[in-house]
Amino acid sequence: MRQICLLLLIVTGCTASSERERTIQDDMGRTVSLPSRIDRIVPLAPSITELLFASGAGSKVVGVSAYDDFPPEIDSLPEYSVLPMDFEAIVALDVDMAFASEQVNNPKNADTFAAVGIPVYFVAVNTLEDVTRAIRDLGDLLGTSEAAQGRAMQLEDSLAQLAVLTANLSEKPEVLFLIETATLYAFGQGSYIHHMIDLAGGNSITRTQSTRFPVLTDEFVLSENPDVIVGSFGVEFEMSELLSYHPTWDILSAVVSEQVHGFDSDHYLRPGPRLVQGAWQLAGVLHPDAMTGP
Amino acid sequence: MNRWTVGLLALALVSVIFSVSIGREVSFPEALSVLWHHAVFGYGTIPDPIADRIVWQLRLPRALLALIVGGGLGIIGAAMQTLVRNPLAEPYILGISSGATAGASLFYLGFLPPLISKALTMPIAAFAGGLCAILIVYSVAGSRGHLSVARLLLAGVAVASLMGALASFITLSSPDPDKLRSVLFWLLGSLHLATWNALIWPAISVSIGLIALLILARPLDGMLTGDESAHSLGVPVESVKRILIVLASLVTGSIVAASGAIGFVGLIVPHAVRSFTGVTHRKILPASFIVGAIFLLWADLAARALLPGAQLPVGIVTALCGVPFFLILLRRNRQGFG
Repeated sequence: MRQICLLLLIVTGCTASSERERTIQDDMGRTVSLPSRIDRIVPLAPSITELLFASGAGSKVVGVSAYDDFPPEIDSLPEYSVLPMDFEAIVALDVDMAFASEQVNNPKNADTFAAVGIPVYFVAVNTLEDVTRAIRDLGDLLGTSEAAQGRAMQLEDSLAQLAVLTANLSEKPEVLFLIETATLYAFGQGSYIHHMIDLAGGNSITRTQSTRFPVLTDEFVLSENPDVIVGSFGVEFEMSELLSYHPTWDILSAVVSEQVHGFDSDHYLRPGPRLVQGAWQLAGVLHPDAMTGP
Repeated sequence: MNRWTVGLLALALVSVIFSVSIGREVSFPEALSVLWHHAVFGYGTIPDPIADRIVWQLRLPRALLALIVGGGLGIIGAAMQTLVRNPLAEPYILGISSGATAGASLFYLGFLPPLISKALTMPIAAFAGGLCAILIVYSVAGSRGHLSVARLLLAGVAVASLMGALASFITLSSPDPDKLRSVLFWLLGSLHLATWNALIWPAISVSIGLIALLILARPLDGMLTGDESAHSLGVPVESVKRILIVLASLVTGSIVAASGAIGFVGLIVPHAVRSFTGVTHRKILPASFIVGAIFLLWADLAARALLPGAQLPVGIVTALCGVPFFLILLRRNRQGFG
């Protein structure tokens, strides 16, 4: 009798899972089975939260990671840890589906989520085009195509407008983008940051670095002698801080002309819709006279 | 000064000139002209200011730091091997480096207030951490004057893990998360923070270490023969051991504060040196210093050259060379176990 019960359980379990008909490929090429209703979703990285909200699906988000701080709508949502992943907290939120970042989340987490019946869709954003593509993809998946399309076009228009403003500038300053002041982490080849600098009317000097996040040497920076140094140093950054770590840089063009600027890191390090604002911010310091504001 | 000392010093000088002169950004003759300009106190043509900074403010302090750190690790390795009468001892393996790292990261990440000055507090914190680690290892390994090598190595591994976990805990619970990436690079052992000012404390403590060990050269020779016969030779064995432990912590602490935990230099170097100097400390110590200095200089050159324009922590390079060497020694070193 007990065995029959068990068998029945397994069979009913199977029929329950066969209700999921739709499958879709995510950005990592994984096949994801979609639940019939997707009403309660969670992002597993801050950039994904921003993409979900941009695609018009913000009202379906029922929790965010402890690192999240944008958009303001998330302030009242419950938080969970994503590094390491707090599976229990997410299961307790009774979610239909989770959305992960290829850059941040470990694909193995998806197996654990699968075991508790939560499909995970991975989003990869490596270029500015990926941002609007991901917004449209998420909108299609979550039934908010129209809102997603509207937001994506708005972002694309904004970038196109910026490209027009910087297209005919006679001077393209050499730009160094740094992630922090002490150890010289930068963006290497294949990063979206070079495209942002390009659109802002500059030329990124780390675009040919062979690794994704190289640690530059002081002498590389000295010999490249950038015209402008920008970084995700925070808005309270002052040039003297950079010079205290790298005293030999006092003769760099960027330092002599005081073209060293710190920005809020979220507009550069978080591959989401706010990169567009980041590109405008960059243009504002590279070509203040040509800019009329976004 | 015998023949090999002169030869090694010449090799060290050539290595420094080489290390300072090669690199993608400044050509070899240009770098030499910068060195010449400073060597003759600014006489002659003034070099290009950017080349001057790269060679004189970045590459030369870095090369000198490599010499000081490598030399310091070399002599401390030699002293530790005499202390435990076993060729497998080294500050990294016995947990001193990890202890120093834990102490230094406490300060680096803002958990300890600067005591006298920022430049001095970090080496002191590292010294205290290193001393704690070696005292634990040593007291676990020794009983009634006998030191078990197996227990020493195991205790070293255990304490190194403990201190590593402590350092990770401190790092991850830091109030200043932006420093995390920097700490990671430093934890792996890197000379990239070298400046003229950063050379002062390592230079002072390594000099103290070298002079003190040279003064102790004769008692150290005696200790190689075993505690009892050293006693009968009139060596105050226990005092010498205590001095060695403090010296090892002092030198390792100041080195770790400047460059993170660079492993295996102290293991490889005294071995290589013994093969041509014999076992007397008057010869081993100076030779270990020079050979360690040259070794780390070349390891750092490799770390700089592997990724053009970017860099790797030199600790990776020394571990790549040192671990196979350690395993071979472990395989050969049958006596004293079990």
